[in-house]
Amino acid sequence: MSDPEDDKSDAFVLYRDRPEWRDVVPLRQDDDASVVAIAYSEKFSDVFDYFRAVLKADERSERAFHLTTDAAKLNPANYTVWHFRRILLKELTLSLDEEKRFCSDIIREEPKNYQLWYHRRILVEWMGDPSGELDFTEAVLEQDSKNYHTWSHRQWLIKEFNLWDGELVYIDELLRQDVRNNSAWNQRYFVISSTSGWTPDVLKRDAEYTVQFIKKAPNNESAWNYLSGIVVGQRKSTYGGLKDTCLEMLSNHIQSPHLLSFLVDIYEEEALDRENDSRNDSLPQALELCRKLGSEVDTIRKKYWDYRSRKLEQDYRESQ
Amino acid sequence: AKVSNSSMMSDADKTVLLREKHVKFFTRCLSVLPQRYETYDSNRMTICFFALSGLDLLDSLDAIGGDRASIIDWIYSLQVLPSECDSALGSTYCGFRGSKAAGGKSSSSIDDCPYDGGHLAMTYTALASLLILGDDFSRVHRPAIIEALKLLQLPDGSFSPMVYDCENDVRFIYCACCISFMLNDWSGVNQDQAIEYIRKSQGYDCGIAQGPAMESHGGSTFCAVASLALMKRLDGTFSDVKLEGLKRWCVQRQQTGFNGRPNKPVDTCYSFWVGATLKLLGCYDMIEKDFNRGYVLEAQSPMTGGLSKYHDTHPDALHSYLGLSGLSLLGEPGLLPVDPALNISLRAVQHLHELRH
Repeated sequence: MSDPEDDKSDAFVLYRDRPEWRDVVPLRQDDDASVVAIAYSEKFSDVFDYFRAVLKADERSERAFHLTTDAAKLNPANYTVWHFRRILLKELTLSLDEEKRFCSDIIREEPKNYQLWYHRRILVEWMGDPSGELDFTEAVLEQDSKNYHTWSHRQWLIKEFNLWDGELVYIDELLRQDVRNNSAWNQRYFVISSTSGWTPDVLKRDAEYTVQFIKKAPNNESAWNYLSGIVVGQRKSTYGGLKDTCLEMLSNHIQSPHLLSFLVDIYEEEALDRENDSRNDSLPQALELCRKLGSEVDTIRKKYWDYRSRKLEQDYRESQ
Repeated sequence: AKVSNSSMMSDADKTVLLREKHVKFFTRCLSVLPQRYETYDSNRMTICFFALSGLDLLDSLDAIGGDRASIIDWIYSLQVLPSECDSALGSTYCGFRGSKAAGGKSSSSIDDCPYDGGHLAMTYTALASLLILGDDFSRVHRPAIIEALKLLQLPDGSFSPMVYDCENDVRFIYCACCISFMLNDWSGVNQDQAIEYIRKSQGYDCGIAQGPAMESHGGSTFCAVASLALMKRLDGTFSDVKLEGLKRWCVQRQQTGFNGRPNKPVDTCYSFWVGATLKLLGCYDMIEKDFNRGYVLEAQSPMTGGLSKYHDTHPDALHSYLGLSGLSLLGEPGLLPVDPALNISLRAVQHLHELRH
């Protein structure tokens, strides 16, 4: 991530040309006849030669700190740079607000870098103050609404600092922008599990909430996974009128593989329930849907649907 | 240049594995990478692994010719030896480094440079690379590596890759399991705790995330399932319902090739991450092989060799290797079979077994 501006401008002076660094002997990477050699730029070699020297001497100074700034910008994936920088931040009691700003700048350019997000988490831990953090994650999510690191950081913030209020509203906004945002659905599960828990009322409300989104976009795997996930403790075949809802969608010629799959689950449940008087009818319904999925609606998963059919028949026989 | 790799792709290229091009791509990786790879400076060991294992799957290790010994020496030069000065430190930082970017000398201990310790992903890829090259592990400091593993496992069962402050998640459980398997020594891993972390990381959709409550993901699902397979604990860890759900979640990843999460774009590497998971779960035959194969072949770069995450983008070592590994799972002619848990050729695994006898 070397900044072309730095290379061209007069501002950057190689460390080996800086009088104030004359006392330090740069340390080249011990790499004769090396493998996977990298054609480092002159600036990169220079900065890291001095970084290695400072590291070996364990020099904990302001100038070492500024050196890590250059090193971090050139290679934000170098975890040793960040580790040493954190040591200096503590030892020299430098401004953590300023450090967070620096961290934000680099995250904007490299939003999928593990070391940057870990560094940020440590800073927030040290500060004991999450101010501005949720906003920051929202800004990053605006660029990439599914950034795994960002969601992970956001979950940590919310748990650590009890920032649950407003999260469901935020998630709802995201879902209205993109109902297929799987990360947002996952976050919803996280929030509800950790706050109210899945009480009967909450479950009913959430099932209805999800069904609304499903009706708008019936072929959305994320919403169907969520629905299946939240009703896992219930009987799909009898809970909340879901079977009727699905059958209605089916009769309206909705061809979503997830809809048919959900119905397979429902009929399977009925077929294997010894106490269900009409279970003999459910088995052929399930098998017919599997056939339809495999040959028409979800053909890429034909072999999976064949497997489901066979398993269903076997489980049914064993349940007799 | 605006001309994309894909527009240069003939229809024939899209259906044929460009073996020679990939051999050249990997041998280039092993020699010199261009300046834009500066951000891989700490991870060079992983690039070495991708290149070596890629050549191995292509049955073209002879392309490195006389360099085999010097590559082995380079790998060993990155081993961090036990401290002689500080017995309290002892094995703490042992393992392998990704490179000597942090300043330590070849085959040094932490006495030489206090900040240049081992990293689990580098230890895993170093050991795997040595196996591929036919090394006998005679220079590997096994007890030190195992001792370091103990220090890297956290109370919640997950692992950090380094003793210094670092993130922790399912990826490093996988690295720890590969290391333990290759060294045939599980005393560094509390398996029950690791399994507990994995179980807690399984989501409501039955896929597996990097950690509890996070989003299920193809990469972490592989790390979890492969870890269980290596620990020989795959049977009995998941309930029937959760196991069937996991199989379904994985099968759902296929669009043409595979994606890593619902409603995300397809990416070459998931042909391995998800493909290998399905292989380990005994469901690989459920996938649609032609679509998968077609996607990966179209991600080849006919000019430079190598593969990319999508067609029409620059190839990189990771996607090149995982693309080939994914094709190997399909039984692609011209590729050696790959072990779905260790992600090295069966031939390299055979060598590992020979080492033990």
